[in-house]
Amino acid sequence: MSATEPDLPDRSNGYPTNGLDETVHQRHRLGILTITAEAQSADFGYLRDALELTPGNLSRHLTVLEEAGLIKVDKGYQGKRPRTWVSITSGGRSALAAELAALTELLRRHGAPQS
Amino acid sequence: MTGETADPDPTEDPAEPARAEAAVGPEDAAGLLSELRQLRRNARSARHAYWFPLVLFGLLIVAAIPFYVPSKFGNGFDGGPDLPILGGFSGFVTQKGLGYYWLAALLLGVALTFWWYRRHARRIGVRTPSRGYLITVSAVTALALALPLLAWLGPLHFLNAVMPGDLIFRGTFPFVIIAIGLWVLAWAERSLALGVIALAYTGTALLASLYNIENVLFRLGWNPSSSQWRFTGLPNVLLPAFVLLAAGVGAFVVQRRQRTVA
Repeated sequence: MSATEPDLPDRSNGYPTNGLDETVHQRHRLGILTITAEAQSADFGYLRDALELTPGNLSRHLTVLEEAGLIKVDKGYQGKRPRTWVSITSGGRSALAAELAALTELLRRHGAPQS
Repeated sequence: MTGETADPDPTEDPAEPARAEAAVGPEDAAGLLSELRQLRRNARSARHAYWFPLVLFGLLIVAAIPFYVPSKFGNGFDGGPDLPILGGFSGFVTQKGLGYYWLAALLLGVALTFWWYRRHARRIGVRTPSRGYLITVSAVTALALALPLLAWLGPLHFLNAVMPGDLIFRGTFPFVIIAIGLWVLAWAERSLALGVIALAYTGTALLASLYNIENVLFRLGWNPSSSQWRFTGLPNVLLPAFVLLAAGVGAFVVQRRQRTVA
């Protein structure tokens, strides 16, 4: 799997859950993609607090997403303090959009309210 | 983010796909979408920081007031048309040096705004893409600076056709440049509120550039004495400044309250 071209699942016709990518669908990873899609990049600490995750768990989720080519992780320093910034890739945006479309379609088919 | 799914155990390998979660029903999907919307709203709200550029440019317009008060009414432009697009044209009530003031003020304003967004990102942990703002305002300012010079050159005389006409006569074209910057910021911040502010401010900037607002005040009963005539150009300056300052103070209060609640 290329870091720049994530191997996205086949989202061809069928029941909407067939279009769910298991790498993306995990709710915390979906949360990471949602936040990073909203901003240019998000800090590790912001993601940890927003998703109420332990640093270890967040690191593992970030590794999964980075290896799938869905996010980019930049480590640096602010003064002497290490800072890690996470940004979404174009592949990550596509995967997020496809995931949200699948979930919305699922709701539409069941006639459930979408808000 | 909380929900039915517990955090993975630290010993669990999240690299393993959460297969159980793929079996979603409509209720799960609705809950998940709702959580994601809330996360997006929170992130967007956290990165809103536009009160600073509103107040900053409002103050820069107020600081320009002395340049819009001629030393003596009736002699039109006190000096030559320096930096015509930024400084106005002869025949309107502006002081020499206005163009240089706005060149410095716009560059200072855009640099401070860029610095402000970087500082805000370091403090809050969410970055707003502000480079587009820096590039756009700098490029428009550079164009405003270069266009008259290029048009003055013989071979490029045709550029006079793209000069923004009446917009530059009163020396208020920098207000329009500020408006362009606000639109870019509204897009970068994905802020409808800043979009509305930018719309209101653009209206006042265009009005100030195309019309003598003193005429409205005359009709409302303002009848300046001959010693006050020097100040009749000020409504064109004060109205855009007021819009920016009022919106900036309002945004500061709202953004501070949102962060306190969060």
